[in-house]
Amino acid sequence: MKDYKGTREAFTMALMELAEQDPRYVMVCPDSLKAMRATEFAERFPERYIEVGIAEQNAMAVCTGLASCGLIPFVASYCGFLTMRACEQLRTFVAYPNMNVRIIGINGGLYGGEREGVTHQFFEDLGIVRSIPGITVETPADESQVYKAIKATALLEGPVYIRCGSGREPVVFDRSEPYEFGKLHVVREYGEDAVLFASGFLMNRAIAAADQLAQEGIKVTMCDVHTLKPLDTAHTSELLSRCGAAVTVEDHNIIGGLGSAIAETAASYCPTPVERVGLLDIFPSSGEAEALTDYYGMSVENIKAAVRKAVSRK
Amino acid sequence: MNELKVKELFQIAQGLRLDVVKMVHDAGDGHPGPALSIADVITTLYYNEMRIDPAKPLWEDRDRLILSKGHACPILYATLGRLGYFSVDEFDGLRDLGRILQGHPVFGKTPGVDMTSGSLGNGLSIGAGMAIAAKYNKKDYYTYVILGDGEIQEGIVWEAAMCAKKFKLDNLIAFVDLNGWQSGGTTDEVSGVTPIYEKWEAFGWYCQSVDGHDYAQISDAIANAKAQSGRPSMIVANCIKGKGLSYMENDNAWHKGVPTDEQLAIAYRELGGAV
Repeated sequence: MKDYKGTREAFTMALMELAEQDPRYVMVCPDSLKAMRATEFAERFPERYIEVGIAEQNAMAVCTGLASCGLIPFVASYCGFLTMRACEQLRTFVAYPNMNVRIIGINGGLYGGEREGVTHQFFEDLGIVRSIPGITVETPADESQVYKAIKATALLEGPVYIRCGSGREPVVFDRSEPYEFGKLHVVREYGEDAVLFASGFLMNRAIAAADQLAQEGIKVTMCDVHTLKPLDTAHTSELLSRCGAAVTVEDHNIIGGLGSAIAETAASYCPTPVERVGLLDIFPSSGEAEALTDYYGMSVENIKAAVRKAVSRK
Repeated sequence: MNELKVKELFQIAQGLRLDVVKMVHDAGDGHPGPALSIADVITTLYYNEMRIDPAKPLWEDRDRLILSKGHACPILYATLGRLGYFSVDEFDGLRDLGRILQGHPVFGKTPGVDMTSGSLGNGLSIGAGMAIAAKYNKKDYYTYVILGDGEIQEGIVWEAAMCAKKFKLDNLIAFVDLNGWQSGGTTDEVSGVTPIYEKWEAFGWYCQSVDGHDYAQISDAIANAKAQSGRPSMIVANCIKGKGLSYMENDNAWHKGVPTDEQLAIAYRELGGAV
């Protein structure tokens, strides 16, 4: 594989490079090979492509068996099927025994599931995995961040959940942009009227909102939170303290994901008004990704309005 | 298997049964009936079949055993303790805060426990993963999984059944403890799980039916399973829940229950009192 386009191809390229270097990396698929754009991996490493059929619970538990024997399995499929259908296997048999399993959940958020409808739109996955002890959670925003997230966590001890997209998500970051595991990534530093935290596939909107607000006289510091757990609480608290108002932006329910993580940090370390942009705890419709995220309150205008409200609460 | 060996295994199993009853009595909590049901299968495996080294519980070439019906763990703990994986002094801490013998088996906390279990249905998939890893790593160890006849009502068991068949896991040998009981009553009252042997056969497994308290039959079945090529093995072990104690056999009240001091004294008499 010479290059990648989209988050799923980025996953496959990163995995293939890891597999070239280390025979411990294998891939477990619950009939998700094509969805993962990973056919090339199966052709290149047929003995490391473990296809278990449409059976996510089995896929997750097979990973436990493989990992307990020294392998490092990647299990990859739609994020809701892995975090909900196979939730107990993930919690009790991957996380509890601290197995080196990499869980790659694609089609996260409304952006990922869009026209498929609620059965394929997953906006609870981060809340689920974040509440399980011992799981590292990465929320890359685009293809190059997926590639870097997989590489950055490849040798971590214990399970890692990486939320990936659908291939529709816009490319936001230049490939030369740094990606430091476990750290906040400051993207804009216009000022300290508020701090804007964003993760995942709405990153472009958060950046646009920060840019437009600067033109309109509201100067924010805007951060990409690509490691949701463990959250960089030191830097987060410092920004909350310095700016005195915060907004979170994510393609996820406002309960359980980035909004919760920042609000928990604020409550524990630095009480600060926090406005959360995301899905407002309802089941959405199917629809085209851009229109859908606009409709459900995640537009650039919604983000700007949330910043103004947060600032007004200082 | 010669008569001497049978006698030796019987004496070991009786001692382990007494350990179980004493452990549950002292803890005031636990599942003695399910533990006694599989005492002879476990004894045959650990004392006659498995390639293990209690001094090296994580030896990568060891045979693995997953007690998928994890609530029966006192018999596993008794076995591992008596084999020397840890001190038998730990027996008095079953289910206690901070002790190594947790309420259900925990990988990493109890030396010799090859995988966490207790939430029913998951052990066969994990065993399949271990068996796939053996083939990938070119290792010749066997993976054993012990399932309950209640447990196999869980859907994931049949996902694992298909998976093991697909990967031709002739290094995976599973047992179903067929005692006919589960928490809420007989397996037929509670579910539609029977017939069991035919189900596994239909899923492409090499199936055998044995008396789960006959060491020679269990051992022969394992030898037959190892002789198979290209398919996983299921040994349906016909067992008696609570086997070995007059007041416990086939009385489902002992699915979970605590022997009184008097019942413990009876256990000493009936099981030889060798502890």
